[in-house]
Amino acid sequence: MNNFFALSPILVVVLGALLVLLLDVFLKKENKNYLAYISLIFLVICAFVCIRFWNKNYSYFNGNLFLDNLALFFIFILVLATGFVILLSMKYITFQDVNYGEFYALLLLALSGVAIMLSSIDLLIIFLGLEVLSICSYALAGLKRKDEKSSEAAIKYFLLGSFATAFLVYGLALLYGSSHSTSISSIINFFITESELSIMALIGLALVIIGFGFKIAVVPFHMWTPDVYQGAPTPITAFFSVVPKAVGFIVFLRLFVPYWKNALNTQAIFWILWVICVLTMVVGNLVALRQTNLKRILAYSSIAHAGYLLIAVLAQDNSSLVFYLTVYLFMNIGAFAAVIALSRKGKEYLELEDYAGVGFKYPWIGVTFSIFLLSLAGFPPTGGFLAKFYVFSTAVREGLLPLVIIGVLASLISVFYYLRIIVYMYMREPAREIEIAVENPALFLVLFFCLYGVIQLGIYPRNILVLINQAVSSFF
Amino acid sequence: MNLPILSLVTFLPLAGAVLLIFVHHERKNLLRVLSLAVAIITFIFSLSLYFNFNDQIPDPQFVEKADWLGYGIKYHIGVDGISLFLILLTTLLMPIIILSSWTYIQKRVKEYLIFMLILETGIIGVFVALNLFLFYVFWEAMLIPMYFLIGVWGGPRKIYATLKFVLFTMLGSLLMLVAIFFLYSMYYKATGVYSLNLFDYYGLILNPNIQIWLFLAFALSFAIKVPLFPFHTWLPDAHVEAPTGGSVILAAVLLKMGTYGFLRFALPLFPDAVMKFLPLLAVLSLIGIIYGGLMALIQKDVKSLVAYSSVSHMGLIMLAVFALNTEAIEGAIYQMLNHGLSTGALFLIVGILYERSHTRMISDFGGVSKQMPVFSAFFLICMLSSVGLPGLNGFIGEILCIFGIFKANKLLAILGISTIILAAGYLLWMFQRVMQGPITNEKILSFKDLNKREIVYLVPIVIMMFWMGIYPKPFLRKMDSSVTQLLNRVNKREIYFTQSRKDKDFLLEIEPITTEEKNEQKEDKAR
Repeated sequence: MNNFFALSPILVVVLGALLVLLLDVFLKKENKNYLAYISLIFLVICAFVCIRFWNKNYSYFNGNLFLDNLALFFIFILVLATGFVILLSMKYITFQDVNYGEFYALLLLALSGVAIMLSSIDLLIIFLGLEVLSICSYALAGLKRKDEKSSEAAIKYFLLGSFATAFLVYGLALLYGSSHSTSISSIINFFITESELSIMALIGLALVIIGFGFKIAVVPFHMWTPDVYQGAPTPITAFFSVVPKAVGFIVFLRLFVPYWKNALNTQAIFWILWVICVLTMVVGNLVALRQTNLKRILAYSSIAHAGYLLIAVLAQDNSSLVFYLTVYLFMNIGAFAAVIALSRKGKEYLELEDYAGVGFKYPWIGVTFSIFLLSLAGFPPTGGFLAKFYVFSTAVREGLLPLVIIGVLASLISVFYYLRIIVYMYMREPAREIEIAVENPALFLVLFFCLYGVIQLGIYPRNILVLINQAVSSFF
Repeated sequence: MNLPILSLVTFLPLAGAVLLIFVHHERKNLLRVLSLAVAIITFIFSLSLYFNFNDQIPDPQFVEKADWLGYGIKYHIGVDGISLFLILLTTLLMPIIILSSWTYIQKRVKEYLIFMLILETGIIGVFVALNLFLFYVFWEAMLIPMYFLIGVWGGPRKIYATLKFVLFTMLGSLLMLVAIFFLYSMYYKATGVYSLNLFDYYGLILNPNIQIWLFLAFALSFAIKVPLFPFHTWLPDAHVEAPTGGSVILAAVLLKMGTYGFLRFALPLFPDAVMKFLPLLAVLSLIGIIYGGLMALIQKDVKSLVAYSSVSHMGLIMLAVFALNTEAIEGAIYQMLNHGLSTGALFLIVGILYERSHTRMISDFGGVSKQMPVFSAFFLICMLSSVGLPGLNGFIGEILCIFGIFKANKLLAILGISTIILAAGYLLWMFQRVMQGPITNEKILSFKDLNKREIVYLVPIVIMMFWMGIYPKPFLRKMDSSVTQLLNRVNKREIYFTQSRKDKDFLLEIEPITTEEKNEQKEDKAR
């Protein structure tokens, strides 16, 4: 149904961003928290819009922008993620001296890029959204202007990101050259109907994989991840670890899942992704073993999780991919929230050594962080276990047994470094005293919301599963 | 019965743990009393399982079934003759453990008790789960409290021990998870229905070549837990470093989860693979018996001596399981209970000594019995129960095991007896060095004999030791029908294969239940 309303989630977010930019000029530095509240209000409106549009299938621009349930579900989820990030940032940006008004505006603009990517079924428009998201991300990574690491992160992210974008555009050009269209459905149609193998189209597809592989941080396109994660302000790291990854995987899902189901000559792409998947799981988990900085550990863990998610892509299993991403949102943002909780004015505690004894000194942070880590490691009865269960079990059903065995062993490795953090929190005597600002209600709200999410999704996720099934069955 | 008694027994400890969260951590005695009360109430409820258990029915009783997540993932629990006593053992030991930790644990009492109660739920859950998903959830979830119990309250090398314990167990269980996925997908492909119900899987006839891999995955997981010989290295570390309560629960119940896993899953699901690996498994068990016994002989630390004795004793239990006849398997289950009681008691006794002396080295002791006569009596009984003195429980279990093994293979039985000989050697020698002789260490003079609390928690164990040693019938008869059915499952399938299916190339079929078999089942019930 052609309807202007299809644009509303994007417009709401952009409007919010512009309003924040405008008000920033008039507000004094002490009052900048109002900007956070305004952003949150717009996010709530956007979430509400998503709920209202469920099952409506609005589209605009001749069907190039298409709000199917999958898009709505993920816009909602990522609005939630951005909301969490804003709540986490409220105290953080005053502590760490990044209290600029554009902080919230950039986050909302990035989200608008996300919304464009999610609701589009044309690769060119997806590219447009990706650029909006990326440019905002580069700026966000470098927001700690006086910090060398942060600037390094921004430059690194920018250079490598542009490089990856170049690959993506080139890939698009090749795909357009062979299929005469940029719309995903036409490209898929081209692959289905073409009886001969077109080298040009395959190279195009491979280049597109490289472009998105950068965004979702799979090995060997992951090099930027640890440095950017470490340098960026921590709430922004939480944003990076969830949002671009989720979007990238949704594009993968739209692009590849129907393609494999129908096309003939798919072996090459399948095996490329297979190798990437194995490398991602193994390298991500192995390198994480040697890290001592919390943000770097979580960076490598997020790389490893991209590997598990790729298994779901390879198994062509939409619903477990979506479920995994949903769980991943809660557990990863929760873990970052716990890391942010250990900070005070002008100081962040990010080394493993700092965590010695934290579990008993700050019981709530300790307990919630442990549960998020156990969920990331895949222990029942948390959401992380169920997510892995769904992904691995369908992968076995689809005949990907070797991949699952590698995945399972890789997650055994991951258990070690997740548990190591818990070892520090509970089983080591504190080596040096740390002091944190405890009064941060917004952060505790996020912690408990994520905790609820992880446990609810681990024990009784039926309602969410019903929604997810509606979402993935609707997409074209 | 309308009351979901089994769910109550399973989740009562968890509810207790939630309750404890709301008690302030400074009110240590309130915390202890509350958790003790929860553990005792759980035990009382679990007794009703025993009294209402119908020993004529081989299938699980008190079954509760509810849909959970769809796709075959169901909440499905029940108790049969194999799991009944393991549940009772768990619920009996938990109050004892809480009592034994009363003064031993002074730091972070609240967290300790919470983890203990969560652990109890996890363990009971493993024994009652009849859905493979549910079983795996409990199997893994139980690791978390154990990880904390060893890691927070353990000895000097606690971090190494606890990580080793978790990683070893995870290695096995993750591969088992893959095997479960494989069964799950094959069942779906064959029938078009999702199922993780254990009893649906009992009806499967799997290609023997596939069975081998699936069996290896399951067996590795359980063998690590038992622990069977080359996979035992986590055990001495974990046992020695764990706090007393942790060691007791680890030795008494957690190891039984491995043997239980063999009986419940590995043997009846993959009977052909079992036949193939039987010699290997039997030899590994035998090596475990002898190796564990010899290692125990040379230990300088009392606790690691008891830990290695576990390796030896569990070897005998495994050997009996693999003998695959009624006597042997009943003996194995009985011996699982005995080992739980006697080794649990020995760890408690080591804990009592450690609380007084803060050392566990055998050479630091000597002549303790003069200073602590009551303690000495308890120690002697528990030690002799572990050795297998007639009149005490260990004797019945060991003799049944040996009889059963003898029926299957005479040589193995003869070699298996060495477990008793070795046990007599290391335990008596240890007792002599610790309790008898002149007092060499001045510290011992300041030891106080057992106080009332310690007597209270040792007495039930000793009563059970005598009861199970003198009148084992009430225990064995409840197992009969379930064990017979288990053996039928293992043996009948083998016949089925050798007769008609040998060369056919297939993945899996659903067992056709003929009228003949149904009649047979009825006869079994009638018997």
